[in-house]
Amino acid sequence: MKIVKLKKSNLHPFLQAASQDAELWAPVRQKNNKHSFQPIKDFATIDLNYTRTILPPRKLFLPPQFNMFQASLQGYKEDFSHVSPKVIFGVHPCDLHGLLIFDEFHRQNFEDPYYLKAKENTLIFGHSCWPDDKCFCQSTNTHLVEEGYDLFFSELDDYYLVWIGSSRGDDCLRLAPELFDESLSEEDIKGYIAWQEKRNQAFKLKINFFAMPDLMELRYHHSLWEKLGQACLSCGSCSLVCPTCNCYNVQDQPLLSQDASNIQRCWDSCMLENYSAVAGGENFREKRSQRLKLWYTHKLQAYISKYGKPACVGCGRCIATCPVDINVFTVSRALEGEEVEAFWNRLAKEVNP
Amino acid sequence: MKGKKLKIGIYELTGCAGDALMILNCEKELPAIFQAVDIQSFLMAKSDNIDDELDVALVEGSVTTEKEVEELKDIRKRSKIVVALGLCATVGGIQARFQDPQKWQENFRQVYGETKMELPAVVSKPIDAYIKVDFYLPGCPISKEQFLNFFTRVVKGAPPESYPQPVCVSCKYKENDCLLKNGLFCLGPLTADGCGAVCPSHNLPCVGCWGPVQGGNWTSEFYLLQDKGFSREFIKKKMANFAGTKLSEFWKQFDRRD
Ligand code: SF4
Ligand code: SF4
Ligand code: SF4
Ligand code: SF4
Repeated sequence: MKIVKLKKSNLHPFLQAASQDAELWAPVRQKNNKHSFQPIKDFATIDLNYTRTILPPRKLFLPPQFNMFQASLQGYKEDFSHVSPKVIFGVHPCDLHGLLIFDEFHRQNFEDPYYLKAKENTLIFGHSCWPDDKCFCQSTNTHLVEEGYDLFFSELDDYYLVWIGSSRGDDCLRLAPELFDESLSEEDIKGYIAWQEKRNQAFKLKINFFAMPDLMELRYHHSLWEKLGQACLSCGSCSLVCPTCNCYNVQDQPLLSQDASNIQRCWDSCMLENYSAVAGGENFREKRSQRLKLWYTHKLQAYISKYGKPACVGCGRCIATCPVDINVFTVSRALEGEEVEAFWNRLAKEVNP
Repeated sequence: MKGKKLKIGIYELTGCAGDALMILNCEKELPAIFQAVDIQSFLMAKSDNIDDELDVALVEGSVTTEKEVEELKDIRKRSKIVVALGLCATVGGIQARFQDPQKWQENFRQVYGETKMELPAVVSKPIDAYIKVDFYLPGCPISKEQFLNFFTRVVKGAPPESYPQPVCVSCKYKENDCLLKNGLFCLGPLTADGCGAVCPSHNLPCVGCWGPVQGGNWTSEFYLLQDKGFSREFIKKKMANFAGTKLSEFWKQFDRRD
């Protein structure tokens, strides 16, 4: 893997060159001060001083709602209008790992053309980050990345070290080779190592993930799940913001003045009551506690057992999002038998005797 | 559905007529709507109304007079499918907040005194308090998109889909920062989605105007809001606003704890 150097003042000219035939997306600070990946018209709106966007970058590849195809008695016409050439800049390591899990999921058994086509048409430029009090990607071992990007920008003083992760990334640099410096000095290398060490020390939140499969098993029937079920609002937010949640629903939308239907796909969530409802009025997971158990089995147990890594990339979005403090951190502490300062432990006595 | 057009009737009981108006507001689609079905009765739109056998009756408004009870029962008798249109028809609307018949009598007397009423009034109720309802289309008022989806499915003979997800789902689709998490009084988790989370998308908390979502956790949100500093009375009032008669069981359980 080649590493080159880019002066900060050369960043915008480079992005300009790289996104000539594509739409550039990058983090933008919203009115509410939270960040979101947005299409960029003015480079000045890019704000790299962020920890996490509200929605993870998977929204670029599979939008919350889109049309898959139009069907009629004559056949069907696929609709790939969500696919267009894009460059996404500023993706943090946790989210790059999230996309790697997404790649795996959408390639195994059946290939999902809606995801894969969008992915093929997108250049991914990663960016280094600094953890806040909700980040724990060090615990999930997703704080560093070796693959899953075309270029990766590590920010140091007034320059970037740029990792080239793919031949497409390499082609990109060749669009404006004069902006880059191929020779790294000893000082640059030392600067990077020092930054790495400092960052490693900066993680405050730690979770012992590799103990979780056993703890999930041991506490599978623990009263803790009932307690969580009493607090959960079934709002679905935790899974809608999670970079590794991939469930969706498909609905037919008949068209009024044609003998045809649009077949639409939208994000779904296993936290919603209707998710496990089947024909005949049955529901496999009618109780909120059962649905929570499923979600946490996915995040803390099943994936680790199968792939040797958790289906959580430590981004902290569930921590930042759940209105009643049910998240990977509080649940893992509760599984460890710790007292957790969370809403569900303060839920009024009459609900939670 | 090929061949014979479906016979449709659109009726208004007690409400603001906003749902019927919303149908007329589908201006671009109106020709297609009128072409697809045979609108037999629609007081707001035409005067030559025929009140006969119907395939589908769309009923807006809550039931607040004895006359409406009779009208509604008659509509049911004449129609294969009855749809509750809008919040008032599905849950009883804001006017169904006073469910205690005693209190209702008191309020009634306070407003109308001993005046003899032409149309004797009854406690306001959703239409399913009197008749069997086949489909519910909530909203205050209903949304165009939601109505057209629903209408098209009925016309094509596909069973309409209900909206069993909370406003939070659309709110996340729109990538809003959660107002409830930030300490605001947002009823999104308890409210049926259908508006596409318009209010939170404009930084306004959801007040619940689509009515209670199936499976909403009222107890937990009640305590959560209390935890955030809102008073019991305030929470109760706000929760009751658009829940009509559908929360009566919850309040009974709740008041036992008070
Ligand atoms: S479980 Fe939570 S911390 Fe882990 S990847 Fe999902 S949203 Fe991020
Ligand atoms: S755990 Fe939290 S975010 Fe997830 S559905 Fe329940 S209340 Fe919503
Ligand atoms: S702002 Fe309201 S509607 Fe949106 S996610 Fe939060 S609670 Fe739900
Ligand atoms: S109050 Fe709630 S349900 Fe009503 S329009 Fe606003 S967000 Fe939608």
